[in-house]
Amino acid sequence: MTVLVGYVPTPEGDAAFSAALQEARRRSESLVVLNSPQGGAPVSVDVAPDPAVRRMNERAEADGVTLELRQAAHSGDAADEVLRVAQEVDASVIVIGLRKRSAVGKLLMGSVAQRILLDADRPVLAVKP
Amino acid sequence: MDTLAVDIAPVLDGFTVVLEPTNLLYCLIGVTVGMLVGVLPGLGPAATIAILLPITIGIEPVTAIIMLSGIFYGAQYGGTITSVLLKLPGEASSVVTVFDGHALSRQGRAGTALGIAAIGSFVGGTVSIVALSFLAPVVASFALDFGPPEYTALALLGILLVSTISSGSRLKALVAASIGLLLATVGRDAFTGGERFTFGNLNLADGLDFVPIAMGLFGLGEILYNLEERHTAAQAPMKVANVWPSRRDLRQSSGAIGRGSVLGFVLGILPGGGATLASLAAYAVEKRRSKTPERFGNGAVEGVAGPETANNAAATSSFIPLLTLGIPANATMAVIFGALLVIGVSPGPQLVTEEPELFWGVINSMYIGNILLLIMSIPLVGLFVKILRVRPAILAPITVLITLIGVYTVNNSVFDIVLVIVFGVLGYLMKKLGFDPGPLLLAFVLGVLLEESLRRSLLIFDGNAAEFFTRPISGTLLVVFLLVALLPLIGKAFARRRSAEQQNDTTKELV
Amino acid sequence: MTSAHDGAHAPTGPGGSTAAGASPLGADDAARSTTAVESPSTLHDLEEAVHRLEAEAEHRPPAAGPTTNLVVATLVVALGAAALVGSLSLGVGSARTPGSGTWPLILSLLIVVLGLGLAVTARSTTDAERFSRSSLLVLAGLATMVVFVALIGTIGFEIPAALLAFVWLRFLGGEGWRLSVVMSLGLVVAFYLIFVAALSVPIPHLF
Repeated sequence: MTVLVGYVPTPEGDAAFSAALQEARRRSESLVVLNSPQGGAPVSVDVAPDPAVRRMNERAEADGVTLELRQAAHSGDAADEVLRVAQEVDASVIVIGLRKRSAVGKLLMGSVAQRILLDADRPVLAVKP
Repeated sequence: MDTLAVDIAPVLDGFTVVLEPTNLLYCLIGVTVGMLVGVLPGLGPAATIAILLPITIGIEPVTAIIMLSGIFYGAQYGGTITSVLLKLPGEASSVVTVFDGHALSRQGRAGTALGIAAIGSFVGGTVSIVALSFLAPVVASFALDFGPPEYTALALLGILLVSTISSGSRLKALVAASIGLLLATVGRDAFTGGERFTFGNLNLADGLDFVPIAMGLFGLGEILYNLEERHTAAQAPMKVANVWPSRRDLRQSSGAIGRGSVLGFVLGILPGGGATLASLAAYAVEKRRSKTPERFGNGAVEGVAGPETANNAAATSSFIPLLTLGIPANATMAVIFGALLVIGVSPGPQLVTEEPELFWGVINSMYIGNILLLIMSIPLVGLFVKILRVRPAILAPITVLITLIGVYTVNNSVFDIVLVIVFGVLGYLMKKLGFDPGPLLLAFVLGVLLEESLRRSLLIFDGNAAEFFTRPISGTLLVVFLLVALLPLIGKAFARRRSAEQQNDTTKELV
Repeated sequence: MTSAHDGAHAPTGPGGSTAAGASPLGADDAARSTTAVESPSTLHDLEEAVHRLEAEAEHRPPAAGPTTNLVVATLVVALGAAALVGSLSLGVGSARTPGSGTWPLILSLLIVVLGLGLAVTARSTTDAERFSRSSLLVLAGLATMVVFVALIGTIGFEIPAALLAFVWLRFLGGEGWRLSVVMSLGLVVAFYLIFVAALSVPIPHLF
């Protein structure tokens, strides 16, 4: 059993990571950080840069939590990827960060968080920065 | 020397051509597209030029070639960026830059690497243009005396060299070239008027059209090939600050830049040589020359300056065989050769004298192009890095549609769309199975010339092929041809004998 | 491949001497390169390092087995043989009076010989890639193009183009539904504006 957090290098993602770390410590479980960019572009803003990765490792170590970072790209829907990995690692809880979307944003692109909340077969912890 | 008086005037006229607003615009478009294509892994300059061939029909010949050449040497600038920043070579000629360029990037000196590369590229390109300006008219005037035997030998040698030095298996490249020559025979036989291999299809009666073949083989073929999962790990975007090398770096690289320019210029003229080979050779030379070779691979600026200068010099000088002899030196030149045919210009030694505006217009446009690229590579490099964020899945259908619809616009023929798809499949299969499509297109483009020259030569020689060797130029070229063809076999025999001797020596030592 | 490069370097100037002279020293470099630094110095080592780097960067699929290589070789030989038959029927003539089929005959013979060469080296050939499940994606992409060219004559380019773009974005590219639909429509509109409205290209169009 492990805690899964969907991470992107944004305030929401950082909030999610902090919450996930806390959860992992509380449950005495390991932590899987899913930082998977979409598609095959060589550069992606969704990928956590090295300083952020280092900080995550340091914090996990300080809290005595085992950290696994997954950065392989995925194709298709981000929500599907999160749910797939949750199934794979048998996550006890999925932690995600929420952010406000504009009306147009919601119309054109939908919401990954919403899909995860609705389709997950295990508890979801949604946090805001 | 009265040739000197003739030299200057058309060159100056060439500058007036270049400075026309339309030509400047298309030069800018060309080098920008080239730089973008160089940055993006996937599509190469040959594929891009092929896909943009339909555009050349609606515009002036000079303008068209200025743009297409800009794409080619522009790509040499762009390929460096991903090599340095991402350890991901954007172009084959920038692979060597990864060794030291990426090392510099890891040391936080990405700006230095990019700056040195840009400056080296600029110097290499410009030096090459100047040398080209002097050398090209000389070669062209020399080649005006060429007859069918010379052209036969030249075409044969050109095809062989490109097949030999191309990436991948030599055998497969030769197969590709032979198929290209065979495809060139489809259609009406110029000598007898009979139809060959047309299977009664009216569309094939005039022969296979160059444009769909190029667009399919390079364009669609590459896109289909990229469809297969070939995921590169994504990286976080990086800020590129301070893209200007220190004075010490510049001084250290100056030798490498000088050597790279000369080396690149020489290797680029050689058919099959080109930018990739030049970059490899320049790196080897720099490392061998250096008194501290252990720095190489760890961020030696010469390891960036040398190859980057050489590949730009080579890309520029590879225009020489095309513009003076009408023989393309590599696959991209073959596409440009085809473009020239499409717009009604026949490349050959007479190009300098009969179309001086085109000849000098194109060459002089390269000065401007290099200046524009220098500007884009240094202050504007951050913009170009942004394109790496575009997902290839989005670019792919756009490119496919541009190709399918674009090929239609050439002849308003749906058959051309069928052709481009057929050759797209062929291009995919070739890349998948290790056959370089370049030699096929090059051979196709030269096929008509080769067969014609061969048959005319045989008529002149009254069937006696040995007479090829009685003429000094065709004789020499054919000897070189035979040497290049047979040398690897001899080399292999030597290598096997030497390794057998070495084995005997080591066993002797053990005993 | 090495010998070919060394052979081809001989005629050139500066690069040639280093490459040709490099071979005896190559052994020393090989010994030295066991240290941490990867940077190669001989041209041959360079090529190998380059290939390794490209393979790393690209994650190419594994090499195809000897069966695939043999099939390829057979196809090449078959092509050569077919061309041979065709050339003979065109009339070969002689060296003195070459006919229509002379040159194609030479070429077909060459292709057959090369094909046999491929068959002989089939077991040791490693530069072909194995076909895998992702090759089916290529087939799908091809299918969209075939459908495009089949339909364009009857219903114009707009619908086939939109379909093609949608399939490529959604299924071959893994993009989301909404993005795929929006982009496909956007692309068709853009192409319409450029080719039909601005350039007046007589491409078959519905609207």
